[in-house]
This record gives sequence, structure tokens and C-alpha cells, in this order.
Amino acid sequence: MVNDSRRGVVTGLGVLSSIGSDLDTFWQGLLAGKSGIKRIGLFDPSELPCQIAGEMTDFDAKNFLEKKDRKQLRVMARTIQLAVACAQSAITNSKVEKSAINLTRFGVIFGAGMVAMELPETADAAAVCQMPERGKIDLKLWGTKGLEVIQPLWMLRYLPNMLACQVSILHDAQGPNNTITQDDVAGLLALGEALRIMRRDHADLLMVGGAESRVNPLSMTRQSLFLPLSTHNADPSKALRPFDSARTGLVLGEGSGILLVEEIGHAKKRGAEIYAEVNGFGAAFNGTDQADAIERSIRIAMAQAGVSVDDVDHVNASGMGTDKEDRFEARGIAAAFKGSKDPIEVTTIKAHVGHLGGSSATVELASVALSLRHGVVPATLNYNSPDASCPVRVISGSPRPLRKPFVVKTSFTSAGQCAAAVLRRHDV
Amino acid sequence: MSDREQDSGGFRDGTRKSLKRQASMSRKYQRRIVITGMGVVTPLGDDIDTMFKALLEGRSGVGPIRNFDASTFPTNFAAEVHGFQLSSWIKDCSRWEHSGINSKFAAAAAKQALANSGLIEGMNSGKVDRNRFGVYLGSGEGIHDFHNLMWETANSYDPSTRKFDYAKFCKGGRESFHVGSEADQELHTTAMHLAAYFGLNGPNFNCLTACAASSQAIGEAMDLIRIGDCDMVLAGGSHSMIHPLGVTGFNLLTALSTNKANPQGASRPFDKERDGFVLGEGAGMLVLEELEHAKKRGANILAELTGYFSTADAFRVTDSHPEGRGAIACIDGALKDAGVTPSQIGYVNAHGTSTQVNDRVESLAVKHVFGEAAKHVPVSSIKSMMGHLIAAAGAVELITCVEAMRTGWLPPTINYEHPDPECDLDYIPNKARQSKALHCLSNSFGFGGQNTSLVVSAFTG
Repeated sequence: MVNDSRRGVVTGLGVLSSIGSDLDTFWQGLLAGKSGIKRIGLFDPSELPCQIAGEMTDFDAKNFLEKKDRKQLRVMARTIQLAVACAQSAITNSKVEKSAINLTRFGVIFGAGMVAMELPETADAAAVCQMPERGKIDLKLWGTKGLEVIQPLWMLRYLPNMLACQVSILHDAQGPNNTITQDDVAGLLALGEALRIMRRDHADLLMVGGAESRVNPLSMTRQSLFLPLSTHNADPSKALRPFDSARTGLVLGEGSGILLVEEIGHAKKRGAEIYAEVNGFGAAFNGTDQADAIERSIRIAMAQAGVSVDDVDHVNASGMGTDKEDRFEARGIAAAFKGSKDPIEVTTIKAHVGHLGGSSATVELASVALSLRHGVVPATLNYNSPDASCPVRVISGSPRPLRKPFVVKTSFTSAGQCAAAVLRRHDV
Repeated sequence: MSDREQDSGGFRDGTRKSLKRQASMSRKYQRRIVITGMGVVTPLGDDIDTMFKALLEGRSGVGPIRNFDASTFPTNFAAEVHGFQLSSWIKDCSRWEHSGINSKFAAAAAKQALANSGLIEGMNSGKVDRNRFGVYLGSGEGIHDFHNLMWETANSYDPSTRKFDYAKFCKGGRESFHVGSEADQELHTTAMHLAAYFGLNGPNFNCLTACAASSQAIGEAMDLIRIGDCDMVLAGGSHSMIHPLGVTGFNLLTALSTNKANPQGASRPFDKERDGFVLGEGAGMLVLEELEHAKKRGANILAELTGYFSTADAFRVTDSHPEGRGAIACIDGALKDAGVTPSQIGYVNAHGTSTQVNDRVESLAVKHVFGEAAKHVPVSSIKSMMGHLIAAAGAVELITCVEAMRTGWLPPTINYEHPDPECDLDYIPNKARQSKALHCLSNSFGFGGQNTSLVVSAFTG
């Protein structure tokens, strides 16, 4: 049932990131211009061109979970552990009492990417079956001796749907459950889907999230081959420079962001704290000119929210920090806001935490919700010299107050998948 | 309606809210969704007619695994697609040069579906708005370069000390991995290729919910049209897990049949002697379209997609809920979404994997929701013939439902020999049956507890 009166609001947040593993530390880090990008310490990166990442140095999922839930962690790769730890934070933050809600109307919609394998888990099998010729494995041996030395539940640690599954199990969330896999934009598409599910009246409350760790030797090796990663290893915190003309490329990271998105009446009835309203969503594709798809996404989202270009305070951009993507994004945003009284302003938190794959968009959405709640906009880090081919005004230097009630969030992939959402300050 | 009213209140005391919701339930959806194109790549044929004929003949597509040397694996058989060439569907397929098989299967099935829909001409002439044409896939994960990955792993590892040399791995991997095929393993690439090649510039999604993925993709695609975000969506899925790590993973979980003595009899859904599922591979794609949009261009309407619901078991990663709570809510929700009663359902295309637990719980759930009507409703699992296409299974099964309605023939469950007292429905044993179905239910239940049910109906104007 399409029901436009069923509006979504954000009533809980959880963030795990390289600049903070609780909401306050994360928010203070954003405002203080802290960077979590550092030399990789989880493994020896010396043979990689890019040796830096937004790594979470002390992450231990056990610190987040209740004792009874901890034994499940052994069937979860680091990415999935990030998801369940963050989900616990978000639930605690939302003050939802699970005994007081209808759990069949409690959904989980996540963004996720390829879950990186932990190499030692198949190393014994590989060693038994390695043939002298490079790149050859003896499959006859693998089928017998190899299989004997791999843990029975090995595959479950790496299925992309396991983030949302494990979260649903820990929180008894029996409503719609989905995992969307569009990289940087996955979490924003998940938000759009959650809004639709709420409008069709199949849920009152959804966890919209994402989690990913790319700080993994296999992930980093693979991605070093095809992503334009920064090699600015000497000065990690200055490497990722969105919209800056001296940008050096992409820097990966790890983390999780989760938003509790709730139907407004449901939220009010339980006396929930409301961080922000979610008023519009749009998505589009363009395989050659992402600017076109970003522009259309923004226009659709703003039309749905009934917002004009002059109502928007700023755009929280993806801000990849690569030449091609920054230019597409800036052009798309500028086109969507053509005709506004003042040039549209843009900020991004990528330089603080890095590119988090399937969790980028929801960590960034959490920063939008915090901006709307606290009335402050974090500045873009490492923005010193404007790039003339990025026709937007970038908020830099120090945070500034929020002046207007609406923020637009954009995310996209270099493949052309784009989305935008409109969030609004909640006036009590 | 009264059941719905009772179980839908967010709060137990929300009487007024429930009444309000009931009022909104009685409004019909304004936008109806029809199917105007379909395409498949399956172990039983890579076009719909060949596949459906094989299904009605009760043929098995299972044989020894040829994709790699599986001779010593606990399971050495599967239902594979043989002789597949993307170039026989798409002349210039250079953009898929380094793609994995998931992406290639998807492209071939998508080409069939789009050609079948008659929309390609309209897109080329500008009569069809590409910006209102989305993509929502449930296509499987990329396939690792097994040999190079494991060789470099072994080369970086000292079994005697159990020390792993990560720097050595990074160096070796960078030398031996292929740039193009590594890039194409990323999970957003299959949907990107289809949108870029065919010029589908609306919203672009891919979801992964294991064995429910393509059904869930179709359901959410339907919702994109209902809500007005799109007028057309290319929806479906593609998948192959018939590769060394796929078979390794499922064998370790003991989920696959190991009936090496009789591979073609190994997939035996609902039969008492079932011992696990058989892997299949392939793709199924559908063009979903808003009814008025389809009518206006004089499209050939194949069926109407009328119901969708999804739930989570939220129970365990390895088992379904023993009382089928997620499956029951899911089937029930889809029937209500479609506005049909159980007795109106003329065919159930079961998830029917041939594992002990799935088939028992699915039978239980159908009986629970259908009540008296469960005694009469024909149910079958085509996984008995083409194995389990994992993420792609739901799309191919929905297409099978459409063909069943169009031809008046229901495909059988083959290898059904030993009745199981816990599975006591009419499974259309071994022989196709002539029967007119106006509404069909298709179930997909994913590993990890995601459940999706779809209802498809004969289009009656």
C-alpha cells in the first residue's frame, strides 16, 4: 500500500570508524578535522603501492556484544563483526525496547561488498595442494586432503548477506531483510528501499546500515590493481583530498554505520529522540556521464521532498578524491542546483575516514543526521586549493553552523550507479 | 482482513491505528505491474521454449561436473550449462571480455527478455524513456581466481610454523592476478554492465540474499514501479557456484547431495530419501512494466505480477526456523498483497531444495497458510530437474510459473518415489499435468533466513 503519510525519521545511530567507535568521538573527530588515515598496521603492507588506510586500530567486537552473543563471532569475518557490533550500538542509542515493538515489522536493509577472505583459513589446504608450476593447484588433492583442513562453516563467514542475517538474528528482526551490493552507493540505496518498505506498510522500524573492512591483504592486493589508490604514503592524513586540485587518489578504510529509520508516528508514540527526517530519495544510472545521473538523482529526491534549491543548506557529497569522480560529482551537484540564490555548498567526510565501500554511505548519512541534530556542518578536510573543474563551493577550514533545514546526501559508484536523499532537521 | 488488522498493529493497544491501516489496505494499488519480456539461461536450455519443454518432459540436467576437476570432491556432479557463448546473443560482447560467468549469463538472459518485450526499438527511437527504466538484479558474487589465489596463499605460508607472510602474498598476488577479471568480481558490476550496454538509466540495484536473491529483486523491482520511481525494470538474477570454492563451501556445510551412484536421481525434493541439493547455474530475467505503459505501446502482456512479501527467520544462520515462522508470514503476506485467497492459487512453485529441513518446513508452511486448500493445490520443485541456481533460482522459477499459466501445463517434481509422512502435499510426482492455473505462488528461502514469496497471475485485462 503506497501511503505517503508514512514518513521516515532517524531515531538511532551507530558508527564505527577510524576516528571513533562511538557516536561522540566520531562527531567530535569530524568537527576537529581529525583524520583516521594511517599506515596499515593490521598486516605488513610494504609490497603494496598504497600502504595507508582508515584502519580501526583497536576494534574488538567482544566489547560491544553481550556475553551470550559473543560465541557467534567465530563464524563472522571482520566485516560481519563490524556490522553486529555497530548494530548493538545503534539499538542502544535508539532506546528501542524490543519487547514493546512488533518484531515482524522490524526490518534490516544493509549495504555490503565482497567480504574479504582471511587468507590463513585456507592456507593449510592450499599448502597441501600447491603444485610446482606457478598458479596451479592440484584439485584432486583439494577435493580430499584440502577439504579436510578447512573449517566446516568457512563459507558462512564470507557470504555478503550474512551481515544483515546475523544482525536480524541478534535482534530478532523478522521483517524485510535485504543486502544491496552497489559499493559506495549501497547504503544510500538501502535507505531508499527502507523508505519504500515503510510506505508500502510492511515495516515500522528498519535498521539501515552497512559495514565493510577493506583493510585486508587480499582486498588491498586486488583493489590496488584496479582502483586509483593514492600512493601518498609519506603523509597519510593528507593523502585523501576531495575536490582539491592537488588530490592524490582514493584511500580505503573500514567501518560501519547504521541508522534506525522509523515511521514518524511509531517514533513519537514511544517518545524516541529524533535526529532527522528523511523526506526524499532518488536514484539513477549513467555509464558514461555520472554527472547526469547525479543531477537526476538529486532532482528526483528534491521533488519527492517538495524542496526547492534555496531550502538546502548543503550537499554531503561522496567526495572520492579522484579526478574523474570529483569532477562528475561536482558538475552533477552544480547542475541540480542551477538557479539557486547562492552557490550550493558541499562538504564530505571521506578525508576523515576513507572510502568504506558498502559502509561509506551510511557512515556519511550518520554524519548528516548529526549535523541536523546539532546544527553544525563539519568542514571538508585537506581542501586547500580549489579545482576549477569542480564547480561547487566546498565548506573547508572549520565547521560552520547549519543555516537552512535541509541537507542533500549524494553517493555514487564510478560505474555510474547514483543516488541522493533529502534529510530535514526535526523541529520539535 | 481481520487477521491482518490484528497482526499488523505496531503497538498492541493501537486500535485506532489499526483501523486506519485497514482503511488504507482496502485501497487498490493504482499502478499495476505486468510482465512483458522474459529470458533464461539454464542447464535445460538457454531459451524459454527449450527449457519449458524439458521441464514438462521431466528431464534431468544433472551430470558430472565439467567446469573444473571435481572428481575427488564429495559431490562431483551438478546441473551445468554447456556450450554457452555470449556472442550468440550479443554480437559485440567486448565489454564482458574479463567478466565472470554470472555477468555473461545475465547479459544473455537480459538480451532475450528485452528482445521479447519489444522495448529495444522504442528505446532506440526515443519513444521509451530510458530514465524511467531501472535494473534490479539478484546476481551472485564474483568468482575468485581460485588457482592463482590459492597458489599465492600457499607460497606465502609456512605450514610448520603456521606463519603467514602478507607482504609476500601482496607481491605475488599483484603479479599473478588479472586486473580486468579482479575488477569485474566486484558485486556491482553485473547490474552496471546491463544498464550501460542496454542504456537503462533509471535506478540500479543488485541484492544478495542467497537463494532468495532474484525473487527479492523482482519483488522490490515491482515496488519501484508501484511507487512510481520507474515505469519499467529489468529484474532477475544470475549465478553459478559450480566452481572449486563454491562446491568446497557447500560440501563442508554438508548441504549438497553426495549421491554419486545416481546423480540424475540426486535432487529429489519432498522424497523421503532426499540427502541434499544439487547445484545448478544460469540466469533468469524479466521485464516488468507498468500496465498502462504496456497497454499504450501495445505490448504483449505475458502475466501480471500481483503479490510480494519478504521476511526474515531471524533464527540461525544454518537452519530454517523449525516451525517455519518466517516462511509462513512470507507466504501469507504475499497472498494478501495480491488480494487472493489460498483456494485461488492454482500452482505453487516450491523452493523445494531437496534438503531434509527445507522441504519439511516448506510443506509445513504451505499447510499452515493454505489450511483446507493445501489438500488440493499442486506443488512442484523444478530443482529436481535443473538443480539449485542459488541467487538465480527464483527468477527462473517465476518464469516457469508464467509459462505454466500460458500453456496450461504444470511441470512435475521428478525423482519422487518414497513419500515422506511429513511432506504430504500433491507434488505433481514425476509427470507433468494439464491444469489451468490463474494464480501461482513462487517461494524462495535464502540461506541465513531471508524469505521471499511472489504471486503471479494470468492477465485478464
